[in-house]
Amino acid sequence: MPKTPSSIDIFKTGLWKDNPVLRQILGICSTLAVTNLMVNTLVMNAGLIFTLAMSCLTVSILRNYTPMRIRMMAQTLIIASYVIIVDIVIKAYLPDVSEALGPYVGLIITNCIVMGRCEAFAKNNPPWPSFVDGVAVGIGYALVLMAVAIVREPLGFGTLLGFRIMPEGFTPWTVMIMAPGAFFMLGIYVWIIRFYFPQTNQIRK
Amino acid sequence: MKKRLFSVFYMFLITLLFTSVVSAVKLLNEDRIERNEKLKLQKIILRVLDIPVKEKRTGRDLVQLFETRVKPIQVGDKTLYVGYKEDGKTIAGYAFPVGGPGFWGPIYGIVAVDPKATKIIGIAFYKHSETPGLGARIGEKWFTDQFKGLRLYPIEGGKKIFYLRPEGLGKNPNELDAITGATGTSRAVEAFLNQDLDYLLKKLWKSVKKS
Repeated sequence: MPKTPSSIDIFKTGLWKDNPVLRQILGICSTLAVTNLMVNTLVMNAGLIFTLAMSCLTVSILRNYTPMRIRMMAQTLIIASYVIIVDIVIKAYLPDVSEALGPYVGLIITNCIVMGRCEAFAKNNPPWPSFVDGVAVGIGYALVLMAVAIVREPLGFGTLLGFRIMPEGFTPWTVMIMAPGAFFMLGIYVWIIRFYFPQTNQIRK
Repeated sequence: MKKRLFSVFYMFLITLLFTSVVSAVKLLNEDRIERNEKLKLQKIILRVLDIPVKEKRTGRDLVQLFETRVKPIQVGDKTLYVGYKEDGKTIAGYAFPVGGPGFWGPIYGIVAVDPKATKIIGIAFYKHSETPGLGARIGEKWFTDQFKGLRLYPIEGGKKIFYLRPEGLGKNPNELDAITGATGTSRAVEAFLNQDLDYLLKKLWKSVKKS
């Protein structure tokens, strides 16, 4: 078994070198869906970071007891439980956001980032590094979503976090509200990042 | 064999553990969620009855507005919401819940009619699981707005109060645009809405005539 890297290394890798959205192109579905409003993006981010970190932690704690052949089943159960908890909490405390996010909170269950991290990291590493890895990858995802949202909301609605920031008479770009707007933004970001910071070692471990 | 048994036992145990935790969280927040859903329903009833709600309202304002302007009464097995004008005496309209099976799951809505129950003044579908971008467009303004002003009259002999036709093909005022690409949802809405309207209007017409 490879040596567990230090917390700082895990953080750097999750945030930048192996950024789930920019580098691995994972979690695109939710990136496209929730980034037209900053508020939705922030809630989605909080939900994903919580789910990811807690799932990694739990999978890691149970890693020595979980029989190999049923590990996927167990992971799905763990992830789904946390997602439902997040969904219930949002419904109870942020009903408007819950309405806007619609099915996407529930769809965190199928977000490939969560299961990907459980399988690739948490299943073979002790709880603390797994938790750090979950938080780091989650923040890596969150930063990209915010970068997309910070362009889409002002151009699509003329607001940021609900406050009008564009001058009166500004014509909103409807395309930015819809999924193609996110495709364009994400494409541009991936292009810039890959151009200026090419990845030398594609496969880690 | 022993290994397999352990797997089953293990899975059973962690399922029990996690479902218990989830149930506990659900139980703790149930009241709050119920309150939020009630508030949402009240907001929709006010909207279909054309009672203006201030943009910057708080939950308490809304409940207060609802309590002064809307009185629920029981008609048959359904709740009828009577909406009052600003003076609190003149009836502004009646709102009642409608619903039925959609294409994927149940659809819930609210319809409001004028005091004489001769035309629809507002409709909203607030809970459904139709396909986003297709069937889910029943929640969009263009779809619900075309019901506004739809004339209601007693029907007989298998006819319907309204029909949903492919976009642009409707000739009569009671032929509205269906949703392109969502034939299943459109048919479902046509079926349950006609049925519910017929059932409730027959009751309503009776009581309107009496008073």
